Amino acid sequence: MPFVNDILRYRSLSIVGLEKNTGKTVCHNYVLRRLHELKVPVAVTSIGIDGEQTDAVFANAKPEIILYEGMTFITSEKHYLQRRLLSELVEVDSYRTALGQLVTARVLSQGKVLLSGAATTEKLRQQIEHFKATGMPLTIVDGALSRLSLASPTVSDCMVLATGAAVSPNIQQLISRTRFVYRLINLPEVSPALQNTLSFISNGLWGIDDDGQPHDLGIASVFLLGRNQGEDIFRYGNTLFASGAVSDRLLKYLASQKNIKDITLIVRDFTKLFITLEVYAEFSKRGGELLVLQRSRLIAITLNPTSPTGYRLNSAEACAQLSDALQTPVYDVMSI
Amino acid sequence: MTLKSKFKEAPGFQFVADSLELMSSAGKRRLLTQPWLNDAQALNREYDRIEEAILFLNDADATASINGVRHQLMQMHDIAGTLQSLHSHILLNEIELFEIKLFAKLYATAFRFLGEHNRQSLLATSEADLCAIADQAFSILDPDNTGMAHFYIYDSYDPRLAPLRKELKACNNEDADLFSQQEAIEREVILRLSDRLLPLALSLSEALNQMAELDLLLAKATLAKQWNLCRPQLCEAREGLSFLELSNPRLRHHNETLGLRYQPVDIDLHQGVCFITGANMAGKTVLLKTIGVAQLMAQFGMFVPARKARINLVDDVVLCIGDEQNEMKGLSSFASEIIKISNTLQRAHNEHLLVLIDEPARTTNPIEGKAIVQSLATILESKSSFSLITTHYSQLALPCRRLRVKGFVESMSSEPLTPQNINLFMDYSLLPDTTDDVPQEALRIASILDCDKEMLDTARNFL
Repeated sequence: MPFVNDILRYRSLSIVGLEKNTGKTVCHNYVLRRLHELKVPVAVTSIGIDGEQTDAVFANAKPEIILYEGMTFITSEKHYLQRRLLSELVEVDSYRTALGQLVTARVLSQGKVLLSGAATTEKLRQQIEHFKATGMPLTIVDGALSRLSLASPTVSDCMVLATGAAVSPNIQQLISRTRFVYRLINLPEVSPALQNTLSFISNGLWGIDDDGQPHDLGIASVFLLGRNQGEDIFRYGNTLFASGAVSDRLLKYLASQKNIKDITLIVRDFTKLFITLEVYAEFSKRGGELLVLQRSRLIAITLNPTSPTGYRLNSAEACAQLSDALQTPVYDVMSI
Repeated sequence: MTLKSKFKEAPGFQFVADSLELMSSAGKRRLLTQPWLNDAQALNREYDRIEEAILFLNDADATASINGVRHQLMQMHDIAGTLQSLHSHILLNEIELFEIKLFAKLYATAFRFLGEHNRQSLLATSEADLCAIADQAFSILDPDNTGMAHFYIYDSYDPRLAPLRKELKACNNEDADLFSQQEAIEREVILRLSDRLLPLALSLSEALNQMAELDLLLAKATLAKQWNLCRPQLCEAREGLSFLELSNPRLRHHNETLGLRYQPVDIDLHQGVCFITGANMAGKTVLLKTIGVAQLMAQFGMFVPARKARINLVDDVVLCIGDEQNEMKGLSSFASEIIKISNTLQRAHNEHLLVLIDEPARTTNPIEGKAIVQSLATILESKSSFSLITTHYSQLALPCRRLRVKGFVESMSSEPLTPQNINLFMDYSLLPDTTDDVPQEALRIASILDCDKEMLDTARNFL
């Protein structure tokens, strides 16, 4: 029973896909089935709309989320009324989504349901906290489309990453893209002392001095970097902390600096990185270092060998190659 | 006229509304639609209720019950739409039935918490026994007597459900045929439930309004305690209105947060016009806003920010602060102001108003400006309204009452005077003013504020 026991060490799990159709839902169903067999009480929630019966882009049939007796779930009013299982309403949240209020219910007899959830990670975080507070051992979050934000360690304790032929039918490209995200997920963490200091900062770009003290560089947006000549962003030291999103632009700017070998850039967590493989490679090659405040705990990588266009990879070969490249086990989601 | 419509007109009043700690969305809706009360009996009834609520909140033995009531309010959804659907024979769904069940439980629980201390009257404002109605609605939706506010179409609603669901369970709810049979039976059950709930719809709507009222009432009472508000005494027009130690809630809160001094003031007004003069920074504008906010609070059924207050009921409060330049409509500051003043004069012919005008006609030339003020005051003096006008114009030669803010008093504090602590040297109290002159302290204040020395010296030469 691959990786399910690892999940039980945590209170919340997010399942995110690198692309649409990477088998996120199949993976979710696998996890739920195993947890049901282990008789672990579970709550299931999601962000955005998920579990569509047919894929909106490719119109393929999609597997639905299967929930078992005793499980608790959150979905929208609209999808609750369309559920194919027997359940009891426990709570209605006055928080409104495009599909109506969110309801919480407990499954009385097994069946299928479409999950749709809060539009923001903040609301999601509240739901997870609420479940934790009421003694729920594990909350699982299903992500919509290719949103990674819910895998932020500020939202969920651990994650499963789904990848597959939908990312690229070319196995080398698939490996290269998956490995890139894998590397970002596993970026090293800063020291606990610095983690503590920086976690209270909510915006801006900061310079860290030799004593580990942050100083606001007074740059409202990293988009303005390089425009105001003479502004030395390294006046406090070569370590910078970007509290918000980081794009290629900042990495490129840093990579072009004379002192790039000594530069360390700290970001909140990997979900704040909106960068391409090429730019990251250039940044690291020239000697730049990237760290995170908090690392996500990656439990497993799953692979869906079939792409929505019908192309099928050789599953055993793809898993072996990917596993070899990442030095971590990769599971075929269709056969676990 | 509802409370919400006053937010834009009266700066500082929204702060009061936002400070009310409402627990439910129904309570918030009730607040925003709170009507203007112009009837002494209705207002006194509301003030009586606030007093009773304060007694309840102050009862040390009732803490658990108070928290219990608040907890019910917090969980309450505004189900007005659902009850309307029920009343209009629109088929409800499971979620709506759940919401009715939950509401019925919350109402009955709140009622019982209040009953423990004999305060049911804070909630039940009518003769009807709505607690019995709520219990009845709950038991219709709780056929298995679980006592829980959970809900689904229980097997016990229809003898066909249990065997059907057993079959469905065996196939993991995957038999579409059986599933739609179940749905058909569930629809029948919902129809029957709606029929049973229909006669209760109007009473449940009333119960919802009562809960919203209770939420607002407890918020008003809590605020009255927090801010030491006082119950205004309502009196006849000829008796005028008066405030002892009146304070501006927003400014007071702001000053207290920063550890600054706040000085309440005493003021009384008679029918007709009263002029307020005083140096710059003497708090004249704040005084107008404060009186406006206090009158609004009183007539929206709240206690007021003073130690003692006698209020005269008016048809409306007109606050003309003059900072509402409207470039978008192509109006200059003078134009916006003069149009508002003109409209106010029109209304003063047949309405009993509280008119508060800050330095009228200050943005035009002083010769015509003064004439406008004289005309405005002459007309308002003959009306039944209460008018308070601040001005820097002197020699107005009018028989109106005049008050002057004491203003800058160097001996008030032993600290060295700086532009930041000028507030410490201001005495904001009001004195009757018998002269027709205004204080000329603009240059002195400007020099304390560290303004350009050359400008000040040159100005003195021109005097």
